[in-house]
Amino acid sequence: MNVALKQGDIYRGAWGFRNTPDAVRRFPLPFPEDRYMYSVNIEPHIPGPKGSVIEFPIDCDEHYVEECHERAIVLEEDPLRYQALPHMMSAQWDTLELGMQSLSQSYPQHFTLTRLGRHWHWINRPLGLDQHFTFGDPASLPRQPLEYITRQLQGDWVIMDQRDNDLWCEGGMVTGPADWSMDFDLGMSFKEWHGPVPLGHEMGVFDRALRFLLNLRLNEPVRRYNWTMTVHPRLDTSPHNYDRWGPDRGGVTMQNVADILHLRTELQGLWRLPRSNGIVFMVRTYMLSLRDVASIPKWARRVHRVLRDLHPALADYKGLARHRPIAVAYLAQFDDGTPTTPGTAPE
Amino acid sequence: MSHTHADTIAVRVLAVERVTPQIKHFTLAPIAGGELPAFSGGSHIIVVMRGAHRVYRNPYSLMSSPNELDNYQISVLRVDPSRGGSAFMHEQVRVGSELEIAHPVNLFGLAKLARKHLLLAGGIGITPFMAQLHDLRLGDVPYELHYATRSPEHGAYCELMSRAEPQRCRLYHDSEQRLIDIEGLLSRQALGTHVYVCGPSGMITRVLDRAHALGWPDSHVHYEKFSAPPTGEAFDAWLEKSRVAVHVLPDQSLLEAIEAAGVDAPYLCRGGVCGFCRTEVIAVDGELVHNDHFLSAEEKASGKLIMPCVSRARCTKLVLNL
Amino acid sequence: MLITGIRSKPVYAPLQPDLQGRYHLMVGHGVGAAPLSRLLGDLAQAQPAALQRTRIWFVADAVASAASTEAFQAVSIAELRTFNAIDALLSDLTAAMDQALMGSRLYVAGPESFMGLVMRIADRFNLAKDEVRAEECGTLARRVHCIHCRATIDNVRTNIVQCRCDRWLVVRDHYSRRLAAYMGVMVDAECPGDRPEIKEVFL
Repeated sequence: MNVALKQGDIYRGAWGFRNTPDAVRRFPLPFPEDRYMYSVNIEPHIPGPKGSVIEFPIDCDEHYVEECHERAIVLEEDPLRYQALPHMMSAQWDTLELGMQSLSQSYPQHFTLTRLGRHWHWINRPLGLDQHFTFGDPASLPRQPLEYITRQLQGDWVIMDQRDNDLWCEGGMVTGPADWSMDFDLGMSFKEWHGPVPLGHEMGVFDRALRFLLNLRLNEPVRRYNWTMTVHPRLDTSPHNYDRWGPDRGGVTMQNVADILHLRTELQGLWRLPRSNGIVFMVRTYMLSLRDVASIPKWARRVHRVLRDLHPALADYKGLARHRPIAVAYLAQFDDGTPTTPGTAPE
Repeated sequence: MSHTHADTIAVRVLAVERVTPQIKHFTLAPIAGGELPAFSGGSHIIVVMRGAHRVYRNPYSLMSSPNELDNYQISVLRVDPSRGGSAFMHEQVRVGSELEIAHPVNLFGLAKLARKHLLLAGGIGITPFMAQLHDLRLGDVPYELHYATRSPEHGAYCELMSRAEPQRCRLYHDSEQRLIDIEGLLSRQALGTHVYVCGPSGMITRVLDRAHALGWPDSHVHYEKFSAPPTGEAFDAWLEKSRVAVHVLPDQSLLEAIEAAGVDAPYLCRGGVCGFCRTEVIAVDGELVHNDHFLSAEEKASGKLIMPCVSRARCTKLVLNL
Repeated sequence: MLITGIRSKPVYAPLQPDLQGRYHLMVGHGVGAAPLSRLLGDLAQAQPAALQRTRIWFVADAVASAASTEAFQAVSIAELRTFNAIDALLSDLTAAMDQALMGSRLYVAGPESFMGLVMRIADRFNLAKDEVRAEECGTLARRVHCIHCRATIDNVRTNIVQCRCDRWLVVRDHYSRRLAAYMGVMVDAECPGDRPEIKEVFL
């Protein structure tokens, strides 16, 4: 985990973001086969292979500190990227407990949680935090519980209320979204906030997903993968700052595509929350430059084929229209037609 | 996605208290020590009881405070005739007995946006409300609890109620001719009130009927039933995917028979309400007996789906896609 | 990015009386008078006893005036109120909902922007979707929420509109009930200055 780095220059500005070779190999490729179409693709969120992004329930990787700093920068400029409706306080505490328990169990060298009844003591060594507080008492924390913990977690987090046979987006910390606004979607039902996603509704994907999630059980979280592409390793691609990242889309050329175009995977986790009976939704983002994608032969062939044959409506919805042809042209040089093995393991 | 219920929690019975002639109150603590999982008021746990010949899995509402997790407390009504579960709890379970429980599931939670909660309890139906009262007392939302029992002696926890929240709780005893004025109550609630009913089937039906007649929307009417799966004729089932033959006894549910045959079928509420155990019917040489409240009329008529937790068949062979 | 064909866009239907309801509050603006009159007539025929528990609140505009409210007066109901401005109706509506009982039904008719404001109040009282019915009529002009500066632009009839933050926004079908507005997103972020022709589409 990199502790020494320059704030403000990683996911913006000079684009200091880099993946080490380990990070490249552990990148969760979102394509288990050579073509991609929507599916419910939910699986139990159980421990995966050692060293993988799913080894632990909440993954902290080498970008932990810089990503937390990036979140702080976004919030400084736009505090409304964090919101929680008043009736969601128990869900906030549930999420704080999930985050602290998970991190302290998975990475004891970095995080320590000591609980004495309702007196909790939390230590976050990478960020230099040492906090005593009373669980359940918002006044004992410097920020609202959900904001407090998500400022120490990678990925975006949304809390949902379950009522009336539906799920409702009632709060969250969303500073690194792939083109959606939690502020705008706040208060929407499941199908409403998925409104802008093409094809999924006709395919019944959202009906099935909702029905499944309504029965999500405590202690049995699930996960799925989603993906898109981003120009520059920019986490914050929200509609709010579209005027900042929109122009980047037209700036991709054969000369720079390998370095500036990034494959962006979302590892999405969903947990039933105990006290609120709500659901927390984690959107954990991983980015890999096309050059790094191409450095893994199987991935180069796989991604080439997926992008080449992608349904145009999907390509359009994911904002790939302008640079997809360039990406495909770049990757074509690595694709000799050799079959790829199923699964996402690097080869 | 395959589904197993291997992840149960081992508990030991810390205390058993006879509350009324038919009701026993159990306190359960984790054998591994520490705390039990946090839960929301209205949740129930499935208690797994390993009898001499059968395994019983019955849901019981958690009554204890969601803020005190050293132990869970449940109350069990001795049903007569019992299919075995409640008899087991009353006769075989003592202080020191070891049981397994599943993680809490909540199908009867308080609505977070309610402007008022109206709680109607009958007999053993008081149990889920006991847990919810802890949270209600800490909050700002107005609430009322109306609790009907056959008589003061039959009312579990009546004394507790009248001491704790005299202004918010009203007790009614059939023996004293005091009945809950359901029509009156439901006619005068402010917009944004949610009503919750838990008790005998008749009471639930009355409340649902009156609420509907008085213009309450379904989303604001919540109920939890504790009925055991209906009994019926014995029949045989064949699980096509598992290649297992299952014989269903008259007082055993299809789900229980499947479990007894060693197959892990998905389930959640075990009461025909949540839809989780929905199974495809491949063939049946007879008719399905739908006892659930989940499938639509069309789905029931189609003969292609069944809820094994409560539904049965009148046939010689029911083939399931399980 | 999807502009049209988005499922969060509200869907409306011709108003019909809900005979399961006990108290009926009918609220309308401008050309909403016609659907409300029809509704009132339908209720009068189906369940005359309900009329004594029926109220109509109406905001006239240049188009719908005395003639419309005459139709309401033809039937004997509990209350008929006319307002000069939408704001006055909305503030009284809040007070009325605070006093209302379960079994109430709210019916709304008028332009979508008016209905969105009424629905926002209804949401504060935890009204279920079964307790509200809405029929859209009159102008399709939209309230637009600029996703960039968070300003609200009223009465948008065109496919693109310039916000007071100077950005040109395309008006999407993605609708927020909380904000009672459609999302406006910068139309030429990727190619500054490259805007589609302005067309009146929400008339």
